[in-house]
Order: sequence, then C-alpha cells, then structure tokens
Amino acid sequence: MNFPVELFINSMIAGLLLGGFYAAVTSGISISFGILDIVNIAHPAFIILGSYIAYILNTRFGFDPVLVSIVMLPVFYWLGAAVYQVYYLSFEQRGQEALRGLAFFFGLLFVTEVGLILVFGVDYRYVQAPYIGPSIRLAGFDLPLRMLVPFLLSLLLFAVLQLILTRSFIGRAIMAVSQDPLALRLMAADPIRIKRAAFGLSIATAALAGALLIVIQPVEPSVGREYIGRVFAICVLGGLGSLPGTLIAAMLLGVVESLTSTFYGPSWAPAVAFGLLLLTLAFRPSGILGR
Amino acid sequence: MDNRIAIEGVHAAYGSVRVIEDVTLNVESGETVVLLGTNGNGKSTLMKCIMGIVRPSAGSIFAEIDGVRHDLVGRTTEEIVDLGIALVPEGRRLFPKLSVEENLLLGAYRRSARKQIGKNLGFCFSMFPRLAERRRQLAGSMSGGEQQMLALARALMLAPRILLVDEPSVGLAPILVQRTIESIQELKERYQLTVLMAEQNFSQAIRIADRGYVIVHGKIAFEGRSADELNNNDLIRKFYLGM
Amino acid sequence: MRSPVFFVVALVVGAVVFAASRYVENEYFFFAGYVVLQFIVLATAWNILGGYCGYVNFGSAAFFALGAYATVTIHKLYPMPIPVLMLVGGVVSGIVGFATGYLTLRLRGAFFAIATLALAVVLQTLIINWDFVGGARGAYVIRPNSFPLLGSYIQYLFGMMLLLTVISVAGARAIERSRLGYGFATIRDDELAAEASGVPTLRLKLIATTISGALMGMAGAPFPYYIGYVEPGTAFGLAYAVNSIAMPMIGGTTSWIGPVIGAILLGTVQQVATVTISSAVNLLIVGILLVDFVIIAPNGIVGLVRDRRIGSTTVEPTVFVLLYVLNLLPTIFLAKQGQAAQSIGLVFWAILFFVTYARGRMIGRVWLMVFPWIGAGLSLVPVTSETPVVSTVVLWSQGVAWLAIDPPTAVLIVSLVIQVIGMIYGAALERRTPAMTTP
Repeated sequence: MNFPVELFINSMIAGLLLGGFYAAVTSGISISFGILDIVNIAHPAFIILGSYIAYILNTRFGFDPVLVSIVMLPVFYWLGAAVYQVYYLSFEQRGQEALRGLAFFFGLLFVTEVGLILVFGVDYRYVQAPYIGPSIRLAGFDLPLRMLVPFLLSLLLFAVLQLILTRSFIGRAIMAVSQDPLALRLMAADPIRIKRAAFGLSIATAALAGALLIVIQPVEPSVGREYIGRVFAICVLGGLGSLPGTLIAAMLLGVVESLTSTFYGPSWAPAVAFGLLLLTLAFRPSGILGR
Repeated sequence: MDNRIAIEGVHAAYGSVRVIEDVTLNVESGETVVLLGTNGNGKSTLMKCIMGIVRPSAGSIFAEIDGVRHDLVGRTTEEIVDLGIALVPEGRRLFPKLSVEENLLLGAYRRSARKQIGKNLGFCFSMFPRLAERRRQLAGSMSGGEQQMLALARALMLAPRILLVDEPSVGLAPILVQRTIESIQELKERYQLTVLMAEQNFSQAIRIADRGYVIVHGKIAFEGRSADELNNNDLIRKFYLGM
Repeated sequence: MRSPVFFVVALVVGAVVFAASRYVENEYFFFAGYVVLQFIVLATAWNILGGYCGYVNFGSAAFFALGAYATVTIHKLYPMPIPVLMLVGGVVSGIVGFATGYLTLRLRGAFFAIATLALAVVLQTLIINWDFVGGARGAYVIRPNSFPLLGSYIQYLFGMMLLLTVISVAGARAIERSRLGYGFATIRDDELAAEASGVPTLRLKLIATTISGALMGMAGAPFPYYIGYVEPGTAFGLAYAVNSIAMPMIGGTTSWIGPVIGAILLGTVQQVATVTISSAVNLLIVGILLVDFVIIAPNGIVGLVRDRRIGSTTVEPTVFVLLYVLNLLPTIFLAKQGQAAQSIGLVFWAILFFVTYARGRMIGRVWLMVFPWIGAGLSLVPVTSETPVVSTVVLWSQGVAWLAIDPPTAVLIVSLVIQVIGMIYGAALERRTPAMTTP
C-alpha cells in the first residue's frame, strides 16, 4: 500500500492551522493556571460566552465577529477582574482555593453553560463573515480562510501577550507574582492588583478565542467542555508559565489530532488530548519549555 | 535633602509571643547604622515593622524622605517602598524562575524608579560585572554570593533613599560576606543612602558602621555612638567573642 | 458510637426503611427513591476523596458510567445477578481510580482534578467508539418484570441500592474515625507537613481514589437495569458530575453526615422538580446553589448548624453583586415554568433576602430588602405569573443591587435609565411576538 503523501501533508497543514487556534484558546489558561496558579476550569465557559456575544451581534447587526471580540476585550477584562476579586476574597485569602475555589469555578462553568442552554437552546449557532467559505491555494494545497484567519490572529495574540509579559513592568510583575508575593510587595507592587490585572487579561483573551471558535465551527453551549481537556493538556505539555511552550504544544496537539482524525476517524480525536496529557504528566511533568 | 528613620517605643508580637519590646532607635541622614544581635532577638521583626509587613502593637515609626516626614505605621508595604525605602530581605527572596535582568527590571517597578532605569542598570552591571555576564540566567540557578549581589542590585534599582539590609551574610562563605559588606558601603557612598543593616556577623558589620545598637530578647541592650564604642563594650564581648 | 455498632444500626435503619416502603403503593416512590439513594452513594464516595483528602474529582460521571457499562458488557455476555454486577463495576472503577491517582497524585492537587475532567471526555469517546456496548446509539438492557419474593423488580433494585447506601455511609463514617481518616485529614490540612512527618501520603491518596472510584462504579452498576436503555450521553451525564460535588459541598464536607444531608435535600428537590421543571433549569439550580454555598456557607449545612456563622465575604461589593445576579437567574427561568416551579424559586428569593440584608446592614441601608420582598411577593401572586411583570420586578431589583453597591449617583442614574430602556424594549418585543402559552 502506498503512503498517501498528499493526504498526509494536507492533514499536517490542517493540524497546524487548528493548533494555532488551540493556542488562542489556551493562552488564557496559560496565564491563569500556568502563571498565576489559579485553576480556572471555567475558562472555556467564558470562551463560549465570547462566541455567543459574537453570534448575537453578528446575526442582529451583521458586525464582524472578530471585530466584536476586539471591542469586547475591555468588557471581558473587567469581568475577569471582578471574578478574580470574588475568588480572592472568598477563597484565596482564606486558603480554601484547593477545594472550594475549584468548586466555585466548576459552578461558574456549569451555570454559564446551562444559562446559555436556557436562553439559546442546544442548537448549533454560526456566524457569517467574508472569510468563512473561500480558500486560497498555496503551492498546490488548499488553505481555507476560515482556518487561516484564526491562525494568524492567534499568532498575533501570542505576540502581543508575549510582549506584554516580557517587556512591560506589569507583565514582569505578573510573571513574578506567584513565585514570591512578598518580594513583589518589596518592589512596590500590590500582588492582588497584579493578579487581578493578569486574570482580567486571561479572561479578555477568551473574548477573542470565542470569536475565533465560532468562525471555525458552529457552537452550542456544551462545546466548551470538549476544550477543557485540550487546554489543560496543551498548557501542561507546553510547560507551565511559558507562552512559547504553549504555542508549540498547541501546534503539536493540532497536528496529532488532525492526523488521528484523518487516519483513524474523527470520533477518536477527543481522546488524543487526554492521552497526551497523561503521557506528559507521567514522563515530563514540567512540559516542553517549563522553567 | 534629609533622609532619616525614627523609631520610638515600638512593641510587636506574633500572637501572644512578644518579639519586640519598647525599641527606640534612629538613623540619621547619610549614616550607616547596624543592628547587632544573634538569631531570634527580633532584628528581622523590627525590619518588618518598618516595612509594614508586621504591624507594631504600640509605638511610632516615622521616616523623613527628602525632607518630608511620613508616618509609616498603618501604611501598606507597597506604599512604604514607594516612598523610597527599600529592604533587602533575609534570604534574599529573588524571583528564582525569572532571569537576572528580569529581576533587576522588576526592581524598577516603582514609578519614580522607572525614569532612572538606564542609569541604575548601567551602574549595577558596572559594579557587579558578574550580573552582566549572567543577565539571561535564571536567578534561582546562581550561587549564593551572586544571589546576594543580585538582591542588593535589585534593591538599588528601586532608587531608594533609605536602604534596609536584613542579614546580608546568611549562608555566605566568609570571603563573600566581606565582599557583600564592602559593596553595601560602596552603594551607600555612590547613592548617598541612609543605611540600616541588621547583622549577626559583628566583626564584618562593624567595618562599615558609623554606629550601632545591640538588640537582646527584643530590647535595645546597648547603644554604641561610634564604631569604637561598639568595639569596646562588654555585651559585644559576651555575645560575640565569648569573653 | 463504635463503627461496627453504627453499621448494625444503619443496617437496621435501612431494613426498617425498606420494610416501611413495602407499604407504599405507588411504584414511582421506588423510582425516585432509587435515584436519591444512588446520589447518597455518589456524594459519599466523592466526599471520601474530596472532603477527607481535599482532592477534587470532576469525573464522577466517568466512574459511574464505567460501572454502568461494565454491567452492559456482562449483560451482553452472560447476565449475572445485581450484587455480582455491583462488585464487578466497583472493581473496574476502582482500578481506573487507582490508575488516575497513580499518574497524577505525585503532582499538585490541581492536576488530579484536571485529569479527572479529561478522563470523563476520553472514556466517553472510548465508549462511543465501542460498538459492542452500542456505541453512540446506546444499548437496551431488558429489565425482568419481577423478582422472586419481592414482587416488582424496581423494589429489588431499590433494596440493593439501599444496602449499598448503608454500606458506603457506614464505611465512610468508619474511615473518618480510623487511622486512615486521620491520615486523610492530615493530607487535607497540609500535605507537605504530613509527608515530612512520615504520613505515607501517596499510599493514602491511592487508597482514597480507589475506594471512591469503586463506590461510584458500584452505584453505576445497577443503572442499566434501572433505566432500561443506556447511551453514553445519559451515563456520562453532567448531572452526576455536578451533583456529586454539589451535594457534599452543600451538606458539609468534613463529616459523613454532610453528603447524606446534601444528597437527600438536593436529590429530593430534583426528583420533585423534574416533574414540573425542565432538566436544564434543574441543573441550573444545582449549579447556583453550589456557588452560593461555597461562598456563603463554606462548611455547608453542617457548618451552619454547628458554628452559626456565615461566610464573611458575602457583604463585599463584588461578591454581593455576583450572588445577587446569580440568584436572580433561576427566579427568571422559574417564572416561566408555571406555578409549581415558583415554590422552588422561594429558595432563591430567600437567599436574595439574606444577601441583601447582609449587604444592607453593612452600608446602613437595610430597607433595601423591600425590593426582593416585592419581587418574591409578586412572583407568587397568580396574576403575575406572566413573564413581563416578573421580569420587570426582577429588573427593578437589579437596580437595587446597584444601589447597594453604593456607587456615585451618576452611575446609579445611568444604570437605571439603561434598565428602563431595556424594559420598554422588552415590552415592545413581547407585544410583537404573541406570548408563549405554558401548558
């Protein structure tokens, strides 16, 4: 039997594009879980919320979903900051984040999902935009714009985040805050404020990731749960606290998932992330680029 | 412009355990004052009181920065640091997973320090060439002496007026202790700092001290108005020289 | 009470309950009772790991479903009696629990939680792809109509589940008071310190994951016979994952009685509610109660009764607003579900009174409580069961929420104007589309 080279390369390309999108989805978790040590399992719920906001404004007024998400960035930032404030006051401050804090985020995940089901039902929703549908041909391979646009935007998001985290004062403080909050106070920075800003930033990325999600695939409220395994797998695989690691791991997962669904069938794809997660945890818990 | 600290009648306790009792102490502008005492006598707690990390149960702590008087009791640590008082904490407390350079830049988080970032960074690297060589290395992977240098340099990046140094000699080889003490003196002169240093290594500390206090069981047991006075008192002999 | 004595007492109580239930004519009682008992087992099992050790398991549904699918597999090969199935289900889920624990417990606690979350998705994927047990289509398991001696088969299932409940509750209580339980508690309080002082933490955690997983599997084993038709969607249902966390959290996690109280309360409410309320609203209620309790009553109902104290952060502005908005959600949805549903809405109104009172007292405006009172009153009057009125009240109470944050007057006015515009817009929409008739 001949090895289907063309199929393989096509699948690789699809995987890389998908991986770019996964990176956008994971970037928020990479900040909240990877850097701040806050296990925000409700993150996918915020992403789905972003998808629905893009959906509403797209179908009602015909706004571009990505543009909507960029306008929504500050709203999500403040939402995230408020959620962190509640989390800090009720759980982190009292040292109860391990059990009750996790349950709190689980509750939020759940309430958001069920709330969306009650308002919008379980039908799949989709958006319309000029880049959904057409493809460009490059060196004989089709690149669907529906995947390419999210891929490029995701790379842009990573570049911006990496710049913020390594080049700005607040960014460096965010990198430092979970290592030694007291030492940070000795640098005249309030750790709670830094964490609030960082968590706001992480939720802000969910606005963009949500818009990209609904550009790539139709969305219904429980889609978010499929991403929980993926985002944490990517985050751990890439190495906690490392954005470049997250990007590499996301590409890796995208490619492996794409190859799996091409050669074994799409129904197996969700299992890939977990397999990868377990392998990472068992053999290299610090991930690819873990510090 | 004057930069001084005045502590009066400060008491502090952890729960019901009294750590500091009625400590009165002052550091005048441009002085290097040492706080001598062996482990567990309350030196670090006093430092923490000044920095707002531990709240004194009684007494007052004032700081004069560039001629302006500030009441430190009741302020948060961030506010106190922002006034221009820097602490090099015991155990150095670097950010181990950040690079040397990132640690230094974090030191300049304070708004008024950001303006002088280029100048201060240049000075740190010229004073500690070792840090310049290792600027990309993770702070946690450096040796103890290098870490102490980094901790000092990081405090300097804050562009402080008053520098508090808590136990700079802990965990260092004797030759490194000597070098660290000398760098503190050099920094002080270069930046015209007011320095309060808590230290148990008497013979090293005394080399740069203008004057000092001996703290025993949370109380000031002896005040030496000059390095000589400190050198020639019975308490010091008893505690340090075993005579 | 010593543990063996307690076991005997629990057994006697169980037998009395079972004997008494024989006089119940209505078969529905057994169907509902079975579910409540099943939740007691799940909640108790979750609590052995979550409450005693402090390790959160989000994958209860996966362990439950494994037990159920073990039964489906055996049923296809060679049908066996329920007790055997329970044991097999327990062994299968116990092994998976052990394996998950072994791979993740050497890392920080959060990794275990994440792994269990992913485990549910993956096991579901595996089952969907496994044609032998029906794949995505599901499998029929024909329940025998009757059982010798007892008559109806559902009574037999009820009895078996009652027995499992007695065993797991007595077991949890025994663990709590044994050396094992003390070991668990040291892990929960400070794992590093426990390890440093010689507690074999890894071994203890593995014991906990195994026992907890096994009990969940045992609870799932009779499920196919109860339901008659198993498909991945129901067996891996969200309801199991969220209930098995919410029940101990609401009851109280530190003692065996907490999950039992939580499961009986929530389980019963849900069984009563499913008749009148859609299952989505049902899950919403559980989710919101979970968030409410972790904030307002960190130690659950047991803690409320014991300490007579509530979470002190309830009065903080951001926390208050979150609680207020969250608890308004079900009152909106319940208002659309007819009269019976509104009695459940009362629970949320009560929580709204409480948080408004706490916050009002804090800022010296206790009178703000009149707004939730009006809302609750109107939602009970028959005339106002139509949505516009209720939602109007809800919107106004939301205005109160803003008031209670104590913002500058300008912010208050802007927010009220926005809300009035929203109301008018909503009313206009209502008029254009004929109102939905509730059956």
